[in-house]
Amino acid sequence: MSEISEHIDQNETLIEIKNLQKAFNGNQVLKDINLTIKRSENIVVLGKSGIGKSVLIKCIVGLIQPDSGVLKVFGREVTEMNQKELNDLRTRVGFIFQGNALYDSMTVRENLEFPLRRNKIMKDTKLINELILDVLDSVGLLEAIDKMPSELSGGMKKRIGLARTLILKPEIILYDEPTTGLDPLTAREISNLIVKIQQKYKATSIIITHDLNCAKIASDRLMILHDGVFKAKGSFDELKNSENSWVRSFFETV
Amino acid sequence: MSSYSENNSIQTFLTELGGLSRFTVQFFRELFRPPYEHKEFLKQAYSIGLNTLPLIGITAFIMGLVLTLQSKPVLEEFGAESWLPGMVSVSIVREIGPVITALICAGKVGSGIGAELGSMRVTEQIDAMEVSGTNPMNYLVVTRVLSTTFMIPILVFYADAVSFYGSYLAVNLHDFISLPLFMNLAFDPLHFYDLIPATIKTFFFGFAIGIIGCYKGYYSEKGTEGVGKAANSAVVISSLVIFIMDLIAVQLADLFNVFMR
Ligand SMILES: Nc1ncnc2c1ncn2[C@@H]1O[C@H](COP(=O)(O)OP(=O)(O)OP(=O)(O)O)[C@@H](O)[C@H]1O
Ligand SMILES: [Mg+2]
Repeated sequence: MSEISEHIDQNETLIEIKNLQKAFNGNQVLKDINLTIKRSENIVVLGKSGIGKSVLIKCIVGLIQPDSGVLKVFGREVTEMNQKELNDLRTRVGFIFQGNALYDSMTVRENLEFPLRRNKIMKDTKLINELILDVLDSVGLLEAIDKMPSELSGGMKKRIGLARTLILKPEIILYDEPTTGLDPLTAREISNLIVKIQQKYKATSIIITHDLNCAKIASDRLMILHDGVFKAKGSFDELKNSENSWVRSFFETV
Repeated sequence: MSSYSENNSIQTFLTELGGLSRFTVQFFRELFRPPYEHKEFLKQAYSIGLNTLPLIGITAFIMGLVLTLQSKPVLEEFGAESWLPGMVSVSIVREIGPVITALICAGKVGSGIGAELGSMRVTEQIDAMEVSGTNPMNYLVVTRVLSTTFMIPILVFYADAVSFYGSYLAVNLHDFISLPLFMNLAFDPLHFYDLIPATIKTFFFGFAIGIIGCYKGYYSEKGTEGVGKAANSAVVISSLVIFIMDLIAVQLADLFNVFMR
């Protein structure tokens, strides 16, 4: 990376994780996690089911308290933040839940309004409306605005979940399996959408996925989580052609 | 083996009690902390009323009617028929109205809250609220507990009124008695030291229904069966707590009566 040609911002460290540990009732899920992410970098995390990928990104937004280690986001230690600081952090860090987590008692419009109104970022109804239309347009679901989540298909729900996160224009986006459970075509659309969002919003992201296609097109760097540590790191092609057959096994398709 | 399982159930009872107490403390801490969610509170209160009004109405009406019809022969034997409205009204106001309303609300509102919060927990909607900068304790729990606490007393008044009307119709099946005269006879033995303890305890019933439903839902286990369990145990525990509270309330009301007379 030629430092002179890049904008100075690009070297700013947004997430710094050192020696992070987390156990649930004696089950040591995260043992020694180390990760540094710079602005506009896109990291893909691979790993078997139940290995602790979701736990890792939930720590980053303060949904789960780690047991020990350094966990700095925007240079500030997350575990030491008070409620107000956490709320500020959470408006800057978007989180896409594995199961979408759309509020099923609210329409799509109300789902999207919720983070805006709650954070008192915006009161002007006209502006809010414009923003909602804009963000729905970028996920290509303008027609769903007055539907209830139960009326949407799986892929549509993923997009609305994405839209609800994007509406706050977060600097960091954490995606928890954005393409899981979708057909290959829709999965590819979502992956392309992620790349589009990265470019449009200049977002930094961590993407948890089992979808190699998504990993390939959306990642700058890949990490493989296993046994509570990152067992392998590198670009998609590096890991795919790794000498280690265990690493290669993640990239084998039928 | 049996002592082991006994130990176990005592242990789960105690952990449950500890968890519920901690949850209650947390509730009071959030109660006075802004933001105040009036909109969500009104929405909840409205839906509680809407959902329970018909059921409570029918039950209360039948209770008033049946109670009157069943007491009538006994009082007739003593030639004390004119006491009928008064006797029925005292049992309705003191006991039947509050307890029937609370039990119906435990079954309908408590289980509803348990299931709703439980499914929000399981599908990570509560986490989603938290990451969009909303305190779910404040937005979901405080509003629901407050709305049950204030709605149950109102529903009890409504149940009492409907019960009185049922009783009035029952008296009129055999004799003729005008509504003003009936009301006169019904209210005559009621004193404010009947009304005050009876009203106070309904606030506690409402609070218990709300806080237990929220607690079970908020800490629901993951998975679909967790939601069912949350709803189910919300009803069982709050019904039990209502009876225990009623027992305590009777003792306290007696003391109150002694001092006031
Ligand atoms: N809140 C919690 N309490 C107790 N254990 C938990 C909790 N959250 C996660 N775990 C445990 O931590 C481990 C890792 O879970 P996690 O959800 O992070 O897996 P994952 O890598 O995201 O898997 P998947 O790909 O299936 O989503 C699991 O064994 C899970 O049981
Ligand atoms: Mg996961």
